[in-house]
Amino acid sequence: MTPLRFEQTYQDEWTELEASLGRVLGRKAGWSAPRSSVSGVRVAALYRRACENLALAQARCYPAYMVDRLERLTSDGHQVIYQRRIFGIARLKAIVAVDFPSAVRTHASYVAVAAAVFVLPAVVIGLLVYSRPELILSVVSSDTAASFEEMYSTSATSIGRTRTAATDWMMFGFYIRNNVSVAFQCFAGGLFAGLGTLFFLAYNGAVSGAVAGYLTERGLSPTFYSFIATHSAFELTAIVLSGTAGLRIGHALVAPGRLTRLQSLVLAARDSAVLLYGVTAMLLVAAAVEAFWSSAAWLPKAAKYASAVVCWTAVLGYFAFQGRRAR
Amino acid sequence: MPTDVLDTVVSAETPEGILLKLRPAGLSARFYALGLDWAIRLMIMYVAAMAAAFMAGIGIAFLFILFFALEWFYPVAFELTASGATPGKRVFGLKVVMDNGLPVTPAASLTRNLLRAADFLPFGYGFAIVSMLLRRDFKRLGDIAAATIVVYEPPAASRIDLGSIAPVVPVRTLAPQDQAAVVALAARAPRLTADRLDELAALAATVSGDAGHSGPEVTRRVLGVAQWALGRRS
Repeated sequence: MTPLRFEQTYQDEWTELEASLGRVLGRKAGWSAPRSSVSGVRVAALYRRACENLALAQARCYPAYMVDRLERLTSDGHQVIYQRRIFGIARLKAIVAVDFPSAVRTHASYVAVAAAVFVLPAVVIGLLVYSRPELILSVVSSDTAASFEEMYSTSATSIGRTRTAATDWMMFGFYIRNNVSVAFQCFAGGLFAGLGTLFFLAYNGAVSGAVAGYLTERGLSPTFYSFIATHSAFELTAIVLSGTAGLRIGHALVAPGRLTRLQSLVLAARDSAVLLYGVTAMLLVAAAVEAFWSSAAWLPKAAKYASAVVCWTAVLGYFAFQGRRAR
Repeated sequence: MPTDVLDTVVSAETPEGILLKLRPAGLSARFYALGLDWAIRLMIMYVAAMAAAFMAGIGIAFLFILFFALEWFYPVAFELTASGATPGKRVFGLKVVMDNGLPVTPAASLTRNLLRAADFLPFGYGFAIVSMLLRRDFKRLGDIAAATIVVYEPPAASRIDLGSIAPVVPVRTLAPQDQAAVVALAARAPRLTADRLDELAALAATVSGDAGHSGPEVTRRVLGVAQWALGRRS
């Protein structure tokens, strides 16, 4: 069979498949014609035929334009037929209700390590700074220390705020961005054999501990702790879980077991993706709480501590019990 | 095949047993795309900052949230659309796909974009550049972990237009590869200068029995053989 004869025989099918795929992929004329007019059975049959034609065209060294057209056709068909539709409400519900909390439980040992690496430096440095406040200067600069002190001073009209409204909101935005970046860095650091994750966790733990110790020593603990208590339930856990994902990746690289390091990395990244969904959502919640609840000075401290207890219980309970299989 | 040595094409096998060709995009194209994406983001930020200036207080807070969203989720949002590419990538004809040629999944897109934080280190996308230069498929660290690849959307190959050249029956039996070579020459003919076309046609002149000769007449006869190989008989 000559190339032209081959093309004449099958090109009607190719054109039909091109039109159908174009409609599904929303290309060009696709807007006018509804997707429902495409028959799945017909597309599948045409796709298999196009694959067959491509193999023949390649084996028979047919002209480049023909092979090219068939490659394009099969590539589009492959995308349409095999793509996984995993968007949508049902998927979201499954992640929130089952996948995320059970992924956290699956990675319990990583969670424990990440939490320890974050909390231990925080406690140790916090106690050190509390006993010798001048040590704060070896962790943050004197300007930062002063601005923290001003933010939480009892005389300020609202907590976490300095005098001018503009700088105050800027600080707020800055901290949200900062916290999110910290969380994502803890994850990304996993690519360096987990060392980056360990470093970012320990470093941020140390800074948080130092600031807490310093402000406590200055007698600002009532404003400071009532400010952070509620949103820290989401923020600190999100950072620890982000570190968990990072450690999972780092461990996969260091000890790939019977896989190659590359396979092991890809598998670990796929596993930890659901953790990242959860971390992102928790950081958004933390930001909202920080903006509208924690920084409101008119709320009584008791209300804030009560909400903190509720939130911490809810978050920990969610990870401990949500999504377990019913017996 | 010798082309394997030079070409960067990556093959992905489908369940039907055919190989999809993925053409990985290299450092420069991706660098330009990134630059364009940042320019777009800066413009959005600039416009948003002007709007926020009128609202003071709460406006600035939302501005920072917008900055954060643009910084981390701008690529994710665009990669999950049908085109699989950010506006910058689309301009340079690039898109993100999975290693197996399928559209990028939400999990993979999130993973590859959050791992930018690692690619960016130690400064200016240092690790990303090293990784891309060391690998044949130009993946940065985030691509490796997420099993994604940035590929070219190649332009369509042009059809063969030989016009009114009369078919010439070859003087010897042509193997499929020989026929393909002659047809490929015919496909390139419109893009070659007349002199160069004559030179190339002279190399293939044995097919039309004109070995050792060259010139427009020989070229016409070689292209005539291409007509014959394509299937035209009169």
